[in-house]
Amino acid sequence: MKIRWLILLMVWCGLAHAAETAYMVRATELKAKPFSDAETVATLEEQSKVEVLGRQASWMQIKAAAGTGWVKMLSVRLGKPGAEPAKSGDGGLGKLFNLATTGSSGSTVTTGVRGLSEEQLTNAKPNPEAFRAMKAYAAKKDDAQKFAKAGQLKPEKLGYLNAGKAAEAGDK
Amino acid sequence: MKTKLSILAIALSISATPASAFDFSSIGKVLETVTKAKEASTDIDEPQEIALGDGIASNLLGAAPLVKKPALQQYVNQVGLWLALQTERPDLPWHFGVLDDNNINAFATPGGNIFITNGLLQRMSSEAELAGVLAHEIAHVLKKHHLEAIKKSARTGLFADIASQALDSKGRNPAIAKLAGAGTELFARGLDKEDEFEADRMGVVIAARAGYDPFGLPAVLQILQGIAPGDSDLALMFKTHPTPSDRLSLLDSLMSSGFEGYDARPNLAARFKAINGAGKKP
Repeated sequence: MKIRWLILLMVWCGLAHAAETAYMVRATELKAKPFSDAETVATLEEQSKVEVLGRQASWMQIKAAAGTGWVKMLSVRLGKPGAEPAKSGDGGLGKLFNLATTGSSGSTVTTGVRGLSEEQLTNAKPNPEAFRAMKAYAAKKDDAQKFAKAGQLKPEKLGYLNAGKAAEAGDK
Repeated sequence: MKTKLSILAIALSISATPASAFDFSSIGKVLETVTKAKEASTDIDEPQEIALGDGIASNLLGAAPLVKKPALQQYVNQVGLWLALQTERPDLPWHFGVLDDNNINAFATPGGNIFITNGLLQRMSSEAELAGVLAHEIAHVLKKHHLEAIKKSARTGLFADIASQALDSKGRNPAIAKLAGAGTELFARGLDKEDEFEADRMGVVIAARAGYDPFGLPAVLQILQGIAPGDSDLALMFKTHPTPSDRLSLLDSLMSSGFEGYDARPNLAARFKAINGAGKKP
């Protein structure tokens, strides 16, 4: 009997994890399909709570109170609204909030217990044999090209984005 | 050339008459310092950059071993090299490795050694996401972010020593070993925030050039943003990088226009899962 409940609980947890809580960072049109010109199902308000169902390139399928549909993935942040500082320099308030909600200030977490911690990086001793072994996994140009072709990855020319564009957009 | 000679002549004449030339001799010193600083910044050539990076990679592997899955390591090398081939430094000896560690992080050394932790890999669900993270690290190498930061932090003169110092009996350069130590410590302190933002800006473009869905990097940042800030697996990543939220805001403003045409791009989730094993870590 107990085991059956445990299994049920595990199934429920699995399902609960599949949909992650998130919120909208701006007012957004909820689209029926992942296209800009698709039918608008509803308009979601800034900070409104949604559940993430999946991602497809720049689109995210979500479930909102108003229905299920698609929004631009970069209009979505995971977690609950207000749980993270929105802008840099807001660290003080954000930290206070974290302290209030999770009991942790975020910056006082202990490192140095395991793995690639600060301390272990500072005291690392070289392992040249391991690096030689790593080099043996290196890919050759031909292989990388075949690999890309197998995945139908088509290269294209594209210039880097400049920082100015971001600053400009951020000012708006 | 003529000006150089005349400066030399002035400097010589000053040193010959020290009593009457107090002010001039300090100018001479300034000139000397400027020349030295110039030498130090141009001294490191590509083979030395690579040797330094290899030293740092060797240190990192001393801190955490590679995941013992040859097929996975080869796969990550193929994704990584394909990305690197789309950049201005395609001929560096690019090496990629998955570190057997639960921390969520990725590292790049000068010269083209890139590492990603298994902790981060297990949070991903497609090749496009892996490509986004590797492309961000590749950008650090292209822009020599770590090399510049090591220069700023290392003892003045160590860089000049690289060129001048004799090799030891095993053919190693002691100055490079010292700098590799400084370079490894740098991973615990982090780069300048602007370097991270620049690597994000370049990373999405490199992924797009390679034919991937360029929203892989923002997707990973979104996953990180959804993890509680107190999670110890993320402690070092959060300490050494701008917040995922700030990084997402930057990409949000950059990718809101001009990236509409990429929605049909492959993310190769199936290929990723076949190699990496099933499922995301909860």
